[in-house]
Amino acid sequence: MVEHVADFPYLTCMLLAPVVGLTIILFLKEEWHFLIRVVSLSAAAIALGLSIYTFVNYDTALGGLQFVEKYEWVKSFGIYYYVGVDGINAPLLLLTGIVIFTGVLTMWELENRVKEYFAFMLALVTGVFGVFMSMDMFVFFLFYEIAVVPMYILILIWGSTRKIYAAMKLTLYLMAGSGLIIPGILLLYATSGINTFDMIQLHGVHFAPWVQKTAFVLLYFGFGVLAAVWPFHTWSPVGHVAAPTAVSMLHAGVLMKLGAYGILRVAMFLCPDGFQYWAQLMALLAAVGIVYGVFVGLAQTDLKYVIGYSSVSHMGIVGLGLATGTVDGINGSVFQMFAHGVMTALFFSAVGYIYDRTHTRMIYELGGFSKIMPVASGYFIIAALCGAGVPGFASFWAELLVFISAVKVFPVRGLIALASIVIGALFALRVVQKTFYNEPNPKFIHFKDVSPFLGLPRAILVATMVLFGIFPRLMLDLIKSAVVPFVNGL
Amino acid sequence: MINNVETYLYIALFLFAIGLYGVLARRSLIAVLISVELMLNAAMINFMAFNRFLAPHPAVGQIYALFIMAVAAAEAAIGLSIIVAIYRKMKSINVEHATELRG
Amino acid sequence: MSAWFSDLTLLGCFLCMVLPIASFGLIMIFTRNNHKLSLAISLLCSTIPLMIAWSLLYRYWDIAEPIVYNYDWILSDFIKIPFGFLLDPTSLLMLTIVATISWLVQIYSIGYMEGDPGFGNYYAFLSLFALSMLGVSISSGLLQLYICWELVGVSSYLLIGFWYEKFSASEAGKKAFVVTRFGDVGFFMGLAILTIFYGNLEIANINSAAVAQSMPPWLISTGALLIFCGVMGKSAQFPLHVWLPDAMEGPTPVSALLHSATMVAAGVFLIARIYPFFSASPEAMAVALALGTITLLLSSTIGMVATDIKQVWAYSTVSQLGFMIMGLAAGSYFAGYFHLTTHAGFKALLFLCSGVFIHHFGTNDFFVMAAKGGRKLIIPMVTITIAALALSGIFPFSGFFSKEAILGALYHHPNKIWFLMGLFGAFLTAYYTFRVIFVMLFPKNSAPEEKHGHDEPHEEHHGVPWVMSIPLLILATFTIILGFCQGYLERFLLGHTLHHEHNYLLLVSAVIAALSGIGLAWLDWGSKKAKCVGFISYVPALENFFKEKWYMDHFWRWFLNAFIYGTFSRLFTYNDRRVVDGGVDTVAFSTIGSGRLLSFLQTALLQLNLLFMVVVVAGVGLYLLMGR
Repeated sequence: MVEHVADFPYLTCMLLAPVVGLTIILFLKEEWHFLIRVVSLSAAAIALGLSIYTFVNYDTALGGLQFVEKYEWVKSFGIYYYVGVDGINAPLLLLTGIVIFTGVLTMWELENRVKEYFAFMLALVTGVFGVFMSMDMFVFFLFYEIAVVPMYILILIWGSTRKIYAAMKLTLYLMAGSGLIIPGILLLYATSGINTFDMIQLHGVHFAPWVQKTAFVLLYFGFGVLAAVWPFHTWSPVGHVAAPTAVSMLHAGVLMKLGAYGILRVAMFLCPDGFQYWAQLMALLAAVGIVYGVFVGLAQTDLKYVIGYSSVSHMGIVGLGLATGTVDGINGSVFQMFAHGVMTALFFSAVGYIYDRTHTRMIYELGGFSKIMPVASGYFIIAALCGAGVPGFASFWAELLVFISAVKVFPVRGLIALASIVIGALFALRVVQKTFYNEPNPKFIHFKDVSPFLGLPRAILVATMVLFGIFPRLMLDLIKSAVVPFVNGL
Repeated sequence: MINNVETYLYIALFLFAIGLYGVLARRSLIAVLISVELMLNAAMINFMAFNRFLAPHPAVGQIYALFIMAVAAAEAAIGLSIIVAIYRKMKSINVEHATELRG
Repeated sequence: MSAWFSDLTLLGCFLCMVLPIASFGLIMIFTRNNHKLSLAISLLCSTIPLMIAWSLLYRYWDIAEPIVYNYDWILSDFIKIPFGFLLDPTSLLMLTIVATISWLVQIYSIGYMEGDPGFGNYYAFLSLFALSMLGVSISSGLLQLYICWELVGVSSYLLIGFWYEKFSASEAGKKAFVVTRFGDVGFFMGLAILTIFYGNLEIANINSAAVAQSMPPWLISTGALLIFCGVMGKSAQFPLHVWLPDAMEGPTPVSALLHSATMVAAGVFLIARIYPFFSASPEAMAVALALGTITLLLSSTIGMVATDIKQVWAYSTVSQLGFMIMGLAAGSYFAGYFHLTTHAGFKALLFLCSGVFIHHFGTNDFFVMAAKGGRKLIIPMVTITIAALALSGIFPFSGFFSKEAILGALYHHPNKIWFLMGLFGAFLTAYYTFRVIFVMLFPKNSAPEEKHGHDEPHEEHHGVPWVMSIPLLILATFTIILGFCQGYLERFLLGHTLHHEHNYLLLVSAVIAALSGIGLAWLDWGSKKAKCVGFISYVPALENFFKEKWYMDHFWRWFLNAFIYGTFSRLFTYNDRRVVDGGVDTVAFSTIGSGRLLSFLQTALLQLNLLFMVVVVAGVGLYLLMGR
């Protein structure tokens, strides 16, 4: 793969922005809420700015890895601090930037242990940035673990509904996933014979078929836990429900993408033969997840559970796209990772506003919110329409690409998954109708609509969805520049 | 007969046995702590004895003895603070009363 | 970029897409609460496309070759979706119809929606609809058409559920979206299969004669049938017609625009759009013909017993859509499309007139309207009668010509049963139409008690505002003159005039069917001695069957409850709770439980533990020492 060394450490700065913010926050007084918020917002803004910079300035004509920085870290094990951007992770870095920025804005009204909250959130996002930019398997895994741990504390302290159970479940699940990932990574490291964790170099090694098959399935299920691959998905709705708003946003918006990205970047990239061997299973689990998610979501009464299951279904679409192993499918899949990230962030952000006011998320207790808070409801309705796969939003293109290529490669599974989008529409509109339409509940009638400032994060998310929905090439050309060589290497 | 290694080892053994008995039999936490110090001192005497009679290099055992002294000091500080904390909570420093972790 | 401005045609097409979406965005983001400004923006952004549409129609009246503009919208590896415009007679005519009716409805709505708190939103949604429908008309590729098609569904959802506080309205919006989505998934599958096996889905390409030879027949049939699923959804064909009558929960101008004239005609337009491709598959044509016929008869019979004026017109719309599809499927592209054109005019007129009555009397029941003196509103009463005459197919109104064309096409079909069905349908149409007209024109004293309508309540108005009556007059003019333009339209659409053999049998039978329908309606409802009960009430079982809408709603409700909610959703949820989650929790809890089992060893007697430790260490030490 071609590499273009950075003239300025953009990626390191992106990674350090939250770390610096975190350090500053640690030295601030607990009572200085406003200052803490401003510091974390500026850290997020710097990260967002840098991610936009790399996204815009990535040269698709040159291709390959750009903005590369590579330093030796532990020589005897062949571990490098090796970061770079290509068409696959550039959208995901942008997504992380957007979600953390809007996430901080969404939690602007938080009053409970503000300092610790923002500190943990920045720690979490450092891990996420690190995973997306690392090209070294060991550092990748290191950051992966960093991303997982703060989640436990965030849910445990600031969560709601069965938070202890949810936090424990989520952490145990993810640890179990890590327990599969480590042997997979070490197997590849040990059998490569070149004593390095550098994924680009490892890609050049032709592993023996049994190594590929074993390593792939270990990595697939290990990362698959985080990507909510059916049947390892149950932690995710429970976790979404328990987590506070911005954590749900980060969690569903970004963290689940880590898993899918890991499958793509580590498992498929290093074990192409293993992928060919397991592709049928991947497609099956993904298709089951898509259908299953919408049907279970249809029976839920808690708004966040509904969104949680829609995430399961949408992450199934990502998995289905990956399983096709075609350029179209993987293009769609990466695009879907981005689009779904923005969409669920919008979903949770919209629900968070309503929940903070009403302290209930039960569909049958709400109702008529379009009357009470038209703007806040509008954001949710937009998110629901995105979820139903309406054109004009980014997720439509992603689903289109994935479904067409899935029908091509796995006709039966593809068609069944495709048919389930009717239920997807029913499921989204059912929630909208029950929550936002009909007569308003008199208990909630006095609540104020969202103010322009508090509405800002949602507006940013909607604008992102619409921008890439109307001009999909802004995103797709970039993704394609990386996916075409990727698929050629499969 | 007096000035050989075994004499010192017997003394250390005696000291250690007293300490062990204290740890196992005394109910007061302070006494337990003191007994632990006795056991550490027994170990220290062993080090000094071996150093005096057997070691090629004269300083090694003494360095260990110094280390043990430092450890003992730290241990005493932490142990006492734990005892104070227990006393605050239980109003007693009897070992048998500290049973919160019973399965 | 300069091409966008140097080429006026391209600029026009571009503006047709950009202006409505700009209007939608501006109103939704900035001026929602400023009714006057929202109205001004929306009107501006619908007047310009109107002028563009008519000038394009004028400029390309003698168009020989279609004009195509294409730009890359998405370039993935295998899937390439162009964004472009295709201008040919088919799209130009549809563009004009959409722009005109959409503009008229926007004017009319000034009066109808006056004072509604959601006035701004309403115009924003209408703009969104205009965007998507104009897009459907001039899309150059099928995938682009599909995208606009979905947007049509969204705007329809938003407009039907416009008065969302009403449960029935929000329910109807949801139903409309989901049912049409049901068809659209079929449409999308068709497109996916065609993309995979054929690749290029540009309309100009797929319509070329070479396609029929290069594709295997099974592929054409599968593709055409799956695409027809989309048509069934959008154009409310049996068995997916159930959403359309419910969609009348929306404001009446919306019903006029979306659910009679344009949106529901999109399905028919789609068949016309890819007619060469569609007609290459005899299976698809046969299915379309059969379903069109079933739809025609089913909805006409339901229309005979409905008492809500909008319901009558809704079922009439369904039946006329079936009729258009029959015409297309019988092999006459022109007949189906011509009926679409005339129908758009007179059905929009019918709805807008009904809207005036509903607005004025605050009820949807036409018996109540009649009792309250509906016929005193002169302009609407005259225009509704004109529209009804057109709908029944009476000379010289536009419907006569287009129905004649369709019946002609059916007559030439080898199987005469379709022709007879068509005639029967025409008879029923005339009957239920004039049932309404006669009830309204000749009210009987035995009219039922006044009841509260479920449309929005309004103050008593005096007279009809001019913004509402002008569109009526314009549409009435169209209804009168459009029929005589048949020859011109034929030359425009087909490039040549059809050779008309004057078949008097056909002409006479059609006129007799219509007149006998009207006559029967006169006997049942019009004349002084009429008993005001439909002839169908002599067969109570049948009447009940029709009143229950052939039990189609019950069927779908049952289907939804029994399968979707009752079976899949419940089973999967159960599985999720018990099997998947339960399994994981069992592992977790058994870990905890096994820990509990051994926890008795933890006695909390510190010194006892220490003693054990010492003994064990001593024992091991002794063993190691002695063992040597």
